[in-house]
Amino acid sequence: MSAAYSGGRARPSLPARIGLHTLLLLFSTLMLAPFGVMLLVSLVPLPAFLARDFSPAHYSLQNYARTFAAVPFGLYYANSTLVAVSVTVVQILISSLAAFAFARLRFRGRDLIFLFYLATLMIPFPVTLIPNFLIVKGLGWYDSYLALIVPGLFSVFSTFLLRQYYRGIPIDFDEAARMDGASSLRIWGQIIVPLSGPVLATLSIFVFQGAWNDFLWPLVVTTSEQVRTIPLGLASFVGQYSTAWDMLMAGSVIALLPVLLIYLVGQKWFVQGIALSGMGGR
Amino acid sequence: MQLKRTIVVGLLLAMTLILSACAAIAPQGGEQPEGGEQPAADETVVLTWAFWGSPAEKESHERVAAAFMEEHPEIEIEFWHQPWNDYFTKLQALWASGDPNVIPDVAFLWPTPRYAAEGVLENLDPFVAASGYDLEAYWPGLLESARFEGSVYGFPRDIEVNVIYYNKDLFDAAGVAYPADGWTWDDFTAAAEALTQKDANGMTTVYGLAAEGGKWAKWVNQNGGAIFDDYVNPSQCLLAEPAAVGGFEFFADLMASGVAMRPADLNQAGGDAAVFASGQAAMILQNTSRVSAFNAAGLNYDVAVAPIPAGGKPWNGAGGAAWVMSSGSDNKEAAWTFIEWLQSDGGGETIYTTAGEIFPALQSVANSPAFMTDAAPANKQAILTEAAASGVGGFGYFPEWGELSGSIIGPGLDKLWAGEADAATLLPELCAQVDQFLADNGYPK
Amino acid sequence: MRRFPANDSSTSARRRWRPDQQWEGYLFLLPSFLGFFVFVVLAVLMSLGISFSVWGLTGFRQWAGLLNYQQLMRDPVFWQAFWNTAFYIVTLVPLQLALGLTMAVGLNQAIRGVLFYRLVYFMPVVTTIVAGAIVFRLLLSTQGAVNGLLATAAGFFEVPFSAPNWLGSSQFSKVSVVLLTLWKNTGFTMVVYLAALQGVPRELYDAAHADGANSWQRFRHVTLPLISPTTFFLFIFQMIGAFQLFTEPFVMTEGGPANSSLAVVQYIYLTAFRDIRMDKAAAMAWLLFVFIFAFTLLQNRLQKRWVYYESE
Repeated sequence: MSAAYSGGRARPSLPARIGLHTLLLLFSTLMLAPFGVMLLVSLVPLPAFLARDFSPAHYSLQNYARTFAAVPFGLYYANSTLVAVSVTVVQILISSLAAFAFARLRFRGRDLIFLFYLATLMIPFPVTLIPNFLIVKGLGWYDSYLALIVPGLFSVFSTFLLRQYYRGIPIDFDEAARMDGASSLRIWGQIIVPLSGPVLATLSIFVFQGAWNDFLWPLVVTTSEQVRTIPLGLASFVGQYSTAWDMLMAGSVIALLPVLLIYLVGQKWFVQGIALSGMGGR
Repeated sequence: MQLKRTIVVGLLLAMTLILSACAAIAPQGGEQPEGGEQPAADETVVLTWAFWGSPAEKESHERVAAAFMEEHPEIEIEFWHQPWNDYFTKLQALWASGDPNVIPDVAFLWPTPRYAAEGVLENLDPFVAASGYDLEAYWPGLLESARFEGSVYGFPRDIEVNVIYYNKDLFDAAGVAYPADGWTWDDFTAAAEALTQKDANGMTTVYGLAAEGGKWAKWVNQNGGAIFDDYVNPSQCLLAEPAAVGGFEFFADLMASGVAMRPADLNQAGGDAAVFASGQAAMILQNTSRVSAFNAAGLNYDVAVAPIPAGGKPWNGAGGAAWVMSSGSDNKEAAWTFIEWLQSDGGGETIYTTAGEIFPALQSVANSPAFMTDAAPANKQAILTEAAASGVGGFGYFPEWGELSGSIIGPGLDKLWAGEADAATLLPELCAQVDQFLADNGYPK
Repeated sequence: MRRFPANDSSTSARRRWRPDQQWEGYLFLLPSFLGFFVFVVLAVLMSLGISFSVWGLTGFRQWAGLLNYQQLMRDPVFWQAFWNTAFYIVTLVPLQLALGLTMAVGLNQAIRGVLFYRLVYFMPVVTTIVAGAIVFRLLLSTQGAVNGLLATAAGFFEVPFSAPNWLGSSQFSKVSVVLLTLWKNTGFTMVVYLAALQGVPRELYDAAHADGANSWQRFRHVTLPLISPTTFFLFIFQMIGAFQLFTEPFVMTEGGPANSSLAVVQYIYLTAFRDIRMDKAAAMAWLLFVFIFAFTLLQNRLQKRWVYYESE
């Protein structure tokens, strides 16, 4: 992407570049500092930290060992992964099918139903929080993976986004395929979905990140250690060890590391995806 | 027209679904037709027992259960354990499910009236009457916290007795005499001032006192103040009366003059046990729950009665989390057997007390060797003296107290503890909010 | 929002129902509609019903009319949470937009290291907010790094300094929440702005340049109007986000002290799950909805004055 920025663009003068870099580096420091502190404090024993003695002689992974012994982060990871992956895959599948129907099939009531969908886009999640809690409990799903996953499988927003995109694909593709005797399902699977790669990728990232970091809903519908996700595990860890900064920081690093690694590997898609999604209003 | 009709039909359909969903979600406590777990004569009854606590506390609960099952082989105890943070929301969810298979039969709970009002707790009066269980064995005022509409819904396991813990080394170093029975607020302030130390930069290294903001009720009641005119059916907030304001001022002045740690700082420093153990505070005001940790750490400390104001009286807020029985329990007789055993001299009370985990709710156990041991603190008589001065006045005994205290009174007083407002102006405003809350919730009833 | 090519499958000439697609359409829609009906439509209606009833731990007790709403109107804690949330909105939205735009403009220059900066700025966005809140608790504690830096700076410039109690005083607790949220979210704003900036045609700058506009004038009269749809989108997006702030105060300040950092959604949570007042909480959620809705409508009106659409 960087080539695109500079393409045909004048390089700023040297003083301007220095000023710019100073500003950008300042921002970088502010953004990175919390991560640095997290890492630093996680490496030194608590007494050394309390004495503000950060000399490298103290560095050890002791805190990590203790934190891992106190908290089943492995389990939290497995739970978060299960929940985030199922929500992402199934939500996009379901939304894609619905978006296909809204965008490319003609049936009675289509526009009315879509209008209903649109009308609910504005409703903030606190409104549905309490009834959804009651519904999940009524279904007997309280404190289970089902409670964490099923309500997340349906998204008006994803449906809306995909529908907008599908409408932009020329309808002639469908007509031609139908001439050849293709069913709607086939058109969806072999024409529409393959043509929507970038938007699907973007949406996946969004949904995955949202599901992975979600806090309030899991807080409300789960009780046992067995189904706890990372943010919840971390938060309850804070409650139990509110001033054991060494372990808190080690726990935070453990919780963040995989996400950051995934981000570092996939950051190109991450950032471009947002740009591509058309969220910028252009 | 077509559109309108569709919407109307849709709404009707939705309403039907809602009503049926409500019915599914809220089964009435009484009707559990299957009764799948009715015990046969030769079968053991399984009770689910819910409590919160740290891993160490859990161990001691397990020991209590083992001792009970030894005496009562016909009853088997299963645990349902959560950390304190999560305990209440999770327990509420279990009750709300209405499913007798997941509802704990016996639970550790606070505050009892809130839940009794929801109908999820069993009225224990009939069991008490049938078994002749002695309600007089409790400390004065203690059972009030577990009553609702006049009936007993739970038995407090322990009583919170707040005493002054003091660090003998710091007293010796500062040349301050150890606290004596009957010492006054003025004596206390003088001692705290003498104990406070600052470093060259003006940072306080030792505070005279570290106490949670929530301990204010002691000072208020000692000074003759009160929260309400009636703690069960209040019609008026009395916190702005001069006696109450005097209690708040005593506490706030200690913070303002820098001899008492501000609660927000205390919280960030890890709580009163941490600062007392590390010698950052010479005295703390706390209940007996700290004893085992301080003994384990080998601290050189003792306890003393709390100082009283000139013309005031000793006072201790009678309250403690209670064992309750679920109204949805399908083994109520066995649950009663367990609760009665838990709350008996020689049963659970004695085991918890011996473990050093509680100051017992039963006076006889407190006066028994289970409590009067040779272990520190030496001055156990101070704890007994404070316990004997127990009474109502620490909190409301009506269901909405938790909400009132958690949303209005507690946060309102934060400003006093932070030094952002003074008692004489803050409390009338706070009392007006409390009165408004009471009126909104239909008090007095 | 994005406007799609005019190839529209539902233009009037083609608008007719196709009988063969009637049931197919429903089948494709079915999974989505089931979820939509239960977790959105049903939930919304239930929530409305609950807000007009007395709803206890064991469920519905009786209808209550407007009782819950009237209680809320008189509830000082609700109003405090409301004004706190208003504070979050009026600080967070402009600051995020300004900082995000500054970063994006900086990264839209022909300089080295753009990829690195972008990578770094976006890092907090993917971070679990709970972990962020924990570090900020440490950084902002009375004897934490932030106060240490401030004291050093004050010593250097020889100005008197008393360490602010970021988390424990009611003047600063909201500021702490704002700082955490800025750290967490500004990278997102930056990326969206960057995409918009890259969509501004070069020719327009060249033309402005030829007319003698300096760089500030070019920014003010070319860039800003052209990216105004993005600004509008971000404005609404961040505003709704700020309305729904929960985890940041919940983990970092617990809403305190003196409810000074309590957000409305946090109070909804506490009311529903700590005080077991689902009814009051549901009413609060509806009031929040009304506010968000009114605000968005208002903004939608006002946007005509400052948002520039190429095709209009």
